[in-house]
Amino acid sequence: MYLLELLLVGLVWGCTYAMMALGLTLVYGLLRILHVAQATVFTLGAYVGLLVANHTGSLALAFPAAALSAAALGPLIYRLVYQPMLDKPPYVALVASIGLLIAMEDGFRLLFGPYGLSFTRNTWFTTTYSWAGLSLNVVQISMVIAAVGLLSAFAWFATRTRAGVAWRATVSDPAMAESFGVGVSGVRYQSFFIASALAGVAGVLVGLLNNLVEPGMGAMIGYKGLAIIVLGGLGNVPGTLVASLLLGVIESFGTVYLDKLLDRDAIAFLVLIVILMIRPQGLLGKAH
Amino acid sequence: MLELQGFACGYGLVRAVETLDLKVEAGRITALLGPNGAGKTSTMMAIAGHVQVQAGRIMFKGEDMTGLPPAERTRRGIAIAPEGRRIFPDLTVAENLLVGGYTLPLIEARRIEQSVFELFPRLAERRRQAAGLLSGGEQQMLAIGRALMAKPKLLLVDELSLGLMPAMVEQCFEALLALKRQGLGVLLVEQNTHRALRVADRVAVLVSGRLAYEADGEQARKDPAMVDSFLGLR
Ligand SMILES: Nc1ncnc2c1ncn2[C@@H]1O[C@H](COP(=O)(O)OP(=O)(O)O)[C@@H](O)[C@H]1O
Ligand SMILES: [Mg+2]
Repeated sequence: MYLLELLLVGLVWGCTYAMMALGLTLVYGLLRILHVAQATVFTLGAYVGLLVANHTGSLALAFPAAALSAAALGPLIYRLVYQPMLDKPPYVALVASIGLLIAMEDGFRLLFGPYGLSFTRNTWFTTTYSWAGLSLNVVQISMVIAAVGLLSAFAWFATRTRAGVAWRATVSDPAMAESFGVGVSGVRYQSFFIASALAGVAGVLVGLLNNLVEPGMGAMIGYKGLAIIVLGGLGNVPGTLVASLLLGVIESFGTVYLDKLLDRDAIAFLVLIVILMIRPQGLLGKAH
Repeated sequence: MLELQGFACGYGLVRAVETLDLKVEAGRITALLGPNGAGKTSTMMAIAGHVQVQAGRIMFKGEDMTGLPPAERTRRGIAIAPEGRRIFPDLTVAENLLVGGYTLPLIEARRIEQSVFELFPRLAERRRQAAGLLSGGEQQMLAIGRALMAKPKLLLVDELSLGLMPAMVEQCFEALLALKRQGLGVLLVEQNTHRALRVADRVAVLVSGRLAYEADGEQARKDPAMVDSFLGLR
């Protein structure tokens, strides 16, 4: 039962990583940009969620507010930072993205102070439910529900709606998709919108789980997200989801069994490096 | 229907085609022939709006559409099955067609899809398959089908038979003839000159970016000058 619980906790984290990494892979697939600044969108979501929850007492309001504010910031970053750089080599956008992440982190520090904030109301979210020897708290359960729900909604959009199909066509051959009337610029905004909304929701969930929202909270999950999309085979959506869950589970077991040697994040990156040495094309990627 | 007037196109400082005058009529197949590197693909892509027009005009149904974006040309009735086919490999056959009809209301797109499936029954059988897994011939059918989804008046087909099994080549040419009978104008680029001559109502030969020969199909079929033009003898 203990092993099962470790697995479960790993999958919970995997779901959160997936919400973060899906957006990164969408942006990469479309623009070949490593969108490091997505981490700042995640942090913004967490702050907005926390402020709304603490002022109104309603988590039901906090989540949509976080998703919407994040979904506004992402496309704005595209418009102001990435779009003017599209005809430059991709590392230019990458450097700008890293710069933006650092600047925003200091921005959050100036606005909300360096020590981080906690959720002062809604303490019921720490309630733990036990079932057949397994125990999970409300936030963990919400993480899974949110990830499965939102990612299913995305899958539905991508395969069952004409806009979603057009979006996939654009990823595969932008010039041809455009020729048949797909608005390529609109598709880019859509991608940043979806990616950012998911990151914003993930931000609130991680903030709730740790009961802490602080300026630098996005950096680590952002870096992991980048490692995950490389592991998943850049731009490959199913590969990204598998890699997210795998990383969550590896961390969960590693934290227990390698506890004395390495911390959680070190384990995650060590495993990523080893896997990438064996399969540089990613888990589900084809060898070239 | 389509008229190139003093048309030149290219890539930045590179000129691919020089002062070309060419007419393409509705209900007829116009074959644009010529050796490799002659500028056929550049001409097709310029008509579709993907290659820069450097001089002259592209007139379509009496209107100048030289500077229009690609999608607007599709809306006005020009659709392309490009060189290399460029179908969307990760999308299913049905999804590729859906994108082809993106400029039309969904209900109308569904109706045209039916007529594409009637023209190419093999596509109907494979509608849920990923397009990347189709054979070369099926992919060519899909590229043509995707173009037809836009309800064009003029169909551009670049390299119809390249890399296809002979049986598939026949089916694709049959399809073009059927479309022509329905009144569609077809501009066809083809390496297989003999096969193209058999269906062409009008023939133009491009050599090194210049028009080297032009005649009705009837005449071109028995004209030794047509063959000479390829070799630069005219
Ligand atoms: N993307 C490009 N950039 C620069 N030159 C090109 C490009 N594509 C084709 N060309 C040049 O344009 C000329 C015509 O090529 P193309 O139109 O492909 O000929 P064809 O289709 O008749 O074989 C060639 O000299 C080719 O090298
Ligand atoms: Mg060519």
